[in-house]
Amino acid sequence: MPAVIQLDNVALRYRLARQRIPSFKEYAIHMLRGMLTYRELWALRDVSFSVERGEVVGIVGRNGAGKSTLLKVISGILKPTRGRVSVGGRVSPLLELGTGFDTELTGRENVFLNALLLGRSRRSVSERFDSIVDFAELGEFIDAPLRNYSSGMVARLGFAIATAWKPEVLILDEVLAVGDAAFQLKCHRRLQEVLQSGATVLMVSHMGKILIDECGRCLWLAEGRVVADGDPKSVLAQYEPVTPEPELARSGG
Amino acid sequence: MRRLFTYRDLLLTLIARELTVRYKRSSIGFLWTMLQPLLTMLVLHLVFSSIFRGQLENYPVFVLAGLMFWNFFSQSIISSMNSLRSNAALLKKLPVPQAIFPVATVIAGVVNFFLALIPLFGLLLVTGHHLGPSLFFLPVAIAIAAIFTLGAGLLLSPLAVFFYDVVEVVGVLMMLAMYATPIIYPMSILPERYRWFVRFNPLRSILEVFRDPIYYGKIPPLAHLSVALAVAVAAFVIGAWSFHRSADRIPFYV
Repeated sequence: MPAVIQLDNVALRYRLARQRIPSFKEYAIHMLRGMLTYRELWALRDVSFSVERGEVVGIVGRNGAGKSTLLKVISGILKPTRGRVSVGGRVSPLLELGTGFDTELTGRENVFLNALLLGRSRRSVSERFDSIVDFAELGEFIDAPLRNYSSGMVARLGFAIATAWKPEVLILDEVLAVGDAAFQLKCHRRLQEVLQSGATVLMVSHMGKILIDECGRCLWLAEGRVVADGDPKSVLAQYEPVTPEPELARSGG
Repeated sequence: MRRLFTYRDLLLTLIARELTVRYKRSSIGFLWTMLQPLLTMLVLHLVFSSIFRGQLENYPVFVLAGLMFWNFFSQSIISSMNSLRSNAALLKKLPVPQAIFPVATVIAGVVNFFLALIPLFGLLLVTGHHLGPSLFFLPVAIAIAAIFTLGAGLLLSPLAVFFYDVVEVVGVLMMLAMYATPIIYPMSILPERYRWFVRFNPLRSILEVFRDPIYYGKIPPLAHLSVALAVAVAAFVIGAWSFHRSADRIPFYV
């Protein structure tokens, strides 16, 4: 099986300015005085792994371990500071529910806007429009402005759009944890369909149950490094004892 | 560039939005595109016409042609800076080609530029100005102006993401640049010792390639044309190169 996702010694550095420099003038002054110092933060250090076609890989780790950064690097949003990333196939990232949604527009307008932002064509959206609305169970709400939607409705719509094209590589950041049990079951079924069409899935989740149910493999990320890689049950068995409290906060790391 | 092609439907949507959003709230909508330069021309005509009498005949045509070019240039630059900045949060979450925002803004500006030709032709008819075949040259002149403006927009728009106040600074510089370009005045009123400055102003060569066919009814001489084209292509190459270099940093700055 060929590797769809291949990371070789990937490292990514955030440079956080010690002082906030909002203006050009202050930038120039700071630079002249040699005061332009950064706090360097390596969100990823030397990450290497490869994912084969058809795999569903879960990623666990504490907040700030680099999970979201890793997904952004694979999605092509952030360029790594060092190392090489290659992804063979079209990536459909769902990094945060409601990304690219405009709450003032209706659901219908948002379906088009969001799909276009994912690089789809207007025509292909029209073809899939009914099935997207169907999956999201929005009914006549589709013509109401998005600000009137519940978070569950937004979640369903976002997931429906991201998976409507049978993505080659689907990237999910904490999105399955949002909905209720019925939504999770639906997502599970949709994921199975997506997988049957040969997709590869990468997902971050704090919910062990989702990872064990959905993933065939699990990576544990700590301080920007992969510290464990293997069967979800055994990786979670290593990970959970070192996590002091159950993580209730669902913010991606 | 190849990625822009994949996102062509998004590009079209952004252009349409750029064109409609500006006029959505006003009742006469698109007419403003045509009316606004005419009204500005009228004000300038009232103020300056008598001053330039003897040096310029039919000042309204001279100044309207200049303003059309200037509006296109300055509005495209400011809007492309704003559009990249206001969409920067999106670029942190989705792998959208960053250049799509300034490109859409400049294309929308080109559409407005062509629309503004309608009131210009009206003015030419009303004032009995020479209407000749040189007007068919205007699409070429607008294309040169568009290449130049896109280059400047690509160069400047990332700065708006990196520094908060750069849009204000550019706004002031734009005003300076407008007075350093013979838009509302003819070159001949400048004292000899200042003329070299205006002569080396790259904006002037682009402007004249557009204004000559309208005001003087002639296709610009090959020498002027090649200078304007070289300036435009140079601006585009520099802009595209610097955008390419800074684009990767945009998601880190939001």
